[in-house]
Amino acid sequence: MGFKKQLAQSLELPKEVVLGLPLICMTGNEEMTIENHKGLLEYAPEGVRIASSSGSLSITGDGLILRQMSAECIVVTGAIHSIEFLR
Amino acid sequence: MPALWYYLRGYVMIRVTGFSIERFLNLASYHQILFWDTRYEGTALVLKTTLDAKAELSYYAEKTGCQLELIASGGLPLQLQRLCKRQLFAAGILCFVGILYLLSSFVWRVDVQGNERLTKEEILQACEKYDLHPGSWKRGVDTKMLTKVLLTEFSDISWVSVGIDGTDATIHIAETVVAPEIVDKTTPCDIIAEKDGLVLQIVAERGTPKVQVGDVVQKGEVLISSAVLVGIEGEEQHTEYVAASGRVQARTWEKLTEELPLSDSKKIYAAQSTSNRMLLIGNWQMDFLKPRMTGAYDTEIQSVQNFGVGDWKSPLVLVTEAYLPYEMQPFTRTVEEAKEELEAMCIKKASALPKAGEELEETKLQYEVYADCVRAVCTATLSEQIGFVQNIEHTGQINREDGTTENESDRKSLTD
Repeated sequence: MGFKKQLAQSLELPKEVVLGLPLICMTGNEEMTIENHKGLLEYAPEGVRIASSSGSLSITGDGLILRQMSAECIVVTGAIHSIEFLR
Repeated sequence: MPALWYYLRGYVMIRVTGFSIERFLNLASYHQILFWDTRYEGTALVLKTTLDAKAELSYYAEKTGCQLELIASGGLPLQLQRLCKRQLFAAGILCFVGILYLLSSFVWRVDVQGNERLTKEEILQACEKYDLHPGSWKRGVDTKMLTKVLLTEFSDISWVSVGIDGTDATIHIAETVVAPEIVDKTTPCDIIAEKDGLVLQIVAERGTPKVQVGDVVQKGEVLISSAVLVGIEGEEQHTEYVAASGRVQARTWEKLTEELPLSDSKKIYAAQSTSNRMLLIGNWQMDFLKPRMTGAYDTEIQSVQNFGVGDWKSPLVLVTEAYLPYEMQPFTRTVEEAKEELEAMCIKKASALPKAGEELEETKLQYEVYADCVRAVCTATLSEQIGFVQNIEHTGQINREDGTTENESDRKSLTD
């Protein structure tokens, strides 16, 4: 276990800040907010792949739209079917 | 961010085509360019971004080998830009601001708060004399002077503040404590008859009653005398003068005379009336479409419409009135008809006679028929209070039984 992880665990610091992990927030299966991303790898209405420090995050669904995209966060809306981390 | 914010900032809609669209998106977002509503339309990506990001985006598109196409632009800044090109519209905006400023320089509503005994109308009337009324120029209102004037004009006001807030003028007042009614019990006075009548009831609280129930009294007659005989009967007695008080209820008579000519003329109104509308701004009347009327006519106000919202009343009033043209037509009435009309007139007049505390007991009618007219003499019988207070004048002619001088008796009564 790395020093940062140990520090975050013992001091109960937010891991997305200390370790730069993606913070993923979902509203039902309609909206998904990904903070701390590392860029968009692939975008199609049926699937979105987003690079993150936890690996590539693959979202599949129907009619996926990038509701908002900035350097800090990506908001994906549409009918989300599955989420998968690819390493 | 909410859609309203995008609208306020303005946005452009761009279609992106090429092989490395993701790279283009990453590059743009890395350089803090915000875009939203990104979706595929066929093989092209359509996105919305801010107005100022357009130039930067075309540089990144070139770098990533994508093609950009501007589809549409919208939002408030662009709309304003377009509207400002329309000179009349811009002039309209300026006019609106000007009119708004002008209208806000007037007082539109005057409100009175804190009044209990004083009526709102009384205070508003006083304010109107010193240029504070709906429609007065705000700068022309001297609130300090008005405060002083209200304080001097109304003795019932102990504190007043006149404030103008926006277009509302509010007058806050605090009333004084009600002064008790001062009943003078020391100055000797009589209760005398105000008019002729038949005494129905007499209640003497102080003083000597001089009349009895059933007496006929004349105007000016003493009903309750201020002179009171003090002492035991048979021994030495003396007279003291007190402030007489009491109630004397009496039956009084009023005569009313009405007359109606036998040959008269009456108004015959035409079947059609003409309506007229006019606008009133304060006291200023605007009547541009006044119909031309020939001959005699009566005016009847049909409706008064105030252009206001809720409690707020604007000085703009639309008055609709009807002009009723008529012709005078002579007619004759019989003596019986005249009597009927006279009876109605007399009874109406007689029933308006009694004031508060008075009662109309009966009316008697007598008719006098002349060659060209009928006269009705109506005698109305009323039951009313006829006593009123009159200070006695010490003339020395008052008969004293104890033989003391007037000054002595006065002193005596005071010391007693």
